[in-house]
Amino acid sequence: MAVPGSSTGVFIKLAGIDIGSRSIEFVLMHGESYDIIERFRAETSIDLAAQLRMIKETYRWDALVSTGYGRLLSQKVLGGETVTEIKAYTTSAHHFYKDIDTVLDLGGQDTKALAINRHNGHLVRFEMNDKCSAGTGKFFEMMAATLSLDLNELVVAALKGNNSFAINSTCTVFAESEVISLLTSGISVEDIARAVHESLLTKLVSLLSKIMRSDTTSLLFVGGGAKNRALVTLLSNALDKKIIVPEYPDFFGAYGAALLSGTYPHRSKEIV
Amino acid sequence: MSQPTPLFTDEFAEFPLKRALAQVVKRREKGSKVVGVYCSYAPVELIWAMGGVPAVLCAFSNAPIAKAEETLPANLCPLIKSSFGFIELKTCPFFELTDAVAGETTCDGKKKMFELIEQHRPLYVMDLPQCPTNDGAVEYWKHSIAGFKNFLEATFHTTITDSALEESIKESNRKNALVEEIFIFGAEKPAVITWQEMYAVATYAMVSNGSEAIAKLREIIAILTERCDKGIIVSRENAKRVLITGSPVGGDVLKVLKIVDEEGAAIVGLDNCTGLKPYLGKIEEGSGDPLLAIAKRYLKIPCACMTPNTGRTSTLRKQVALLHPDLVLDLVLQSCHTYNVEAAKMESYIRNTLETNYLKVVTDFSTQDLGQLKTRIGAALEMG
Repeated sequence: MAVPGSSTGVFIKLAGIDIGSRSIEFVLMHGESYDIIERFRAETSIDLAAQLRMIKETYRWDALVSTGYGRLLSQKVLGGETVTEIKAYTTSAHHFYKDIDTVLDLGGQDTKALAINRHNGHLVRFEMNDKCSAGTGKFFEMMAATLSLDLNELVVAALKGNNSFAINSTCTVFAESEVISLLTSGISVEDIARAVHESLLTKLVSLLSKIMRSDTTSLLFVGGGAKNRALVTLLSNALDKKIIVPEYPDFFGAYGAALLSGTYPHRSKEIV
Repeated sequence: MSQPTPLFTDEFAEFPLKRALAQVVKRREKGSKVVGVYCSYAPVELIWAMGGVPAVLCAFSNAPIAKAEETLPANLCPLIKSSFGFIELKTCPFFELTDAVAGETTCDGKKKMFELIEQHRPLYVMDLPQCPTNDGAVEYWKHSIAGFKNFLEATFHTTITDSALEESIKESNRKNALVEEIFIFGAEKPAVITWQEMYAVATYAMVSNGSEAIAKLREIIAILTERCDKGIIVSRENAKRVLITGSPVGGDVLKVLKIVDEEGAAIVGLDNCTGLKPYLGKIEEGSGDPLLAIAKRYLKIPCACMTPNTGRTSTLRKQVALLHPDLVLDLVLQSCHTYNVEAAKMESYIRNTLETNYLKVVTDFSTQDLGQLKTRIGAALEMG
């Protein structure tokens, strides 16, 4: 692949920032090698503008693109351009995993399934969860809180639990009351934790089935939800596909944004 | 780039519904009876033939929905809730002007809602056959329209003659052809007409007729022709082009169309009932049976309530061939089951046969999903 940028030894720094409902990921990338120079992650706070100003004061870059739900505010504070998370994920997925044609992103308030043309890296189609939070990371947080567990404990419990019953509610709020009544009926926390995972799994499989090619053998799982080991195992079994989880799955939005900030070959979008 | 001459130069520049209201008020002051209608299947030629004026009662405001939900279920179509809420609050200016109301059994929610408003106005519900190609469907629909004619005659102590109907049919044909001609300007690249202007034309034409309407529509065509001749454009040179299809739109759900604007794309066609759909298709003139001629034309309206709804695909095929959209945006109102289910067929047809990108969004009149809509629409426009 032709490497754009200068060859004088002075390299440009590309920055990407992904502002989601739950967390902010910021990355600095080498403008020629696309190696990661710096990663920064923080919970999204109520005063997002202050967080962005802190980033502006702390880091230096030559080009920046913002993505995620806070992309427009970020653009106001940090400058640069914006792209949707869908474009960002498509770009980073194809850059790091050329053979991948299916990407699943499980974020805080959104779940996205992307179909990518593996020959040219273009997005073929995408599907997102409905506007409710039932198929998202937020669902796990709520369910963990209902069971008085943190997220890691919920995952560990689910790995020990049996798939003995289903949580039927598709709404996070209703699912919470369902879990409470299950608890009071004496069902183990482990089995409930497993059912919580199975419930989300059903939604992910349904979303993926809309876009996945029959000859797909593996898919890339990114976003904060990809850190959930129990879910990765269940998803792999349910789809009978290899699930690839990168080292920093929650940074793929920021990676894509950084790549798009430079003269990246797949920067095909005419940014508005 | 010179500024385009506006299509309407009255005081309602940004308010097409207020312009429509003023049209209805003007007619009423001249003695016309106002007949409220709820959908494109309402055969307005009968209302015009008796010297009346139709008023569209479909509402698109989020404001009265809380009131409506005191009576109606929350998971109902927002258009029905909004229309009903306005009537309950007595704040729908169109409904308040009506002397009678015509309902159509287009959708289940509307049809049962009519039962809840029947005490307010003389009401006639027309039974619409929903298998339009079945034997007897046209005759049955003609029968429903005849019932509506009898209702109008009895309510307003008038007679609607065949010759008045024939005249009304001719007027509709003339007017509808001009509206269609205006929408054809959507084919220009870059765009010379905005969706706001198309929406304004469709809204105006619904409540206007006669020589005044014809003159106004011709004036609009002249302005648009001038824009073409002088190269006056209303979008960026290489703006992505979007065709809107699906449920009716207006008011608060225009949020979706505004997002398309914000993303820098140009909406080049409105295929729905608040756009071109009610104006397509000619009514046979001088047939000797005007009610049958009206019935035949109305039953061809390609609404998702019909099965099979083959007219939808053929209309979209023509629209896509004419307008060359980069994206067909299927806007489905929450709980509009027929459009929502039909979307599966539309997606396959538009992607595979028309080879055009497709995006469905399901939404209501609230602002809760603006972020998600922006991401979805933005991503669909980034493609290709």
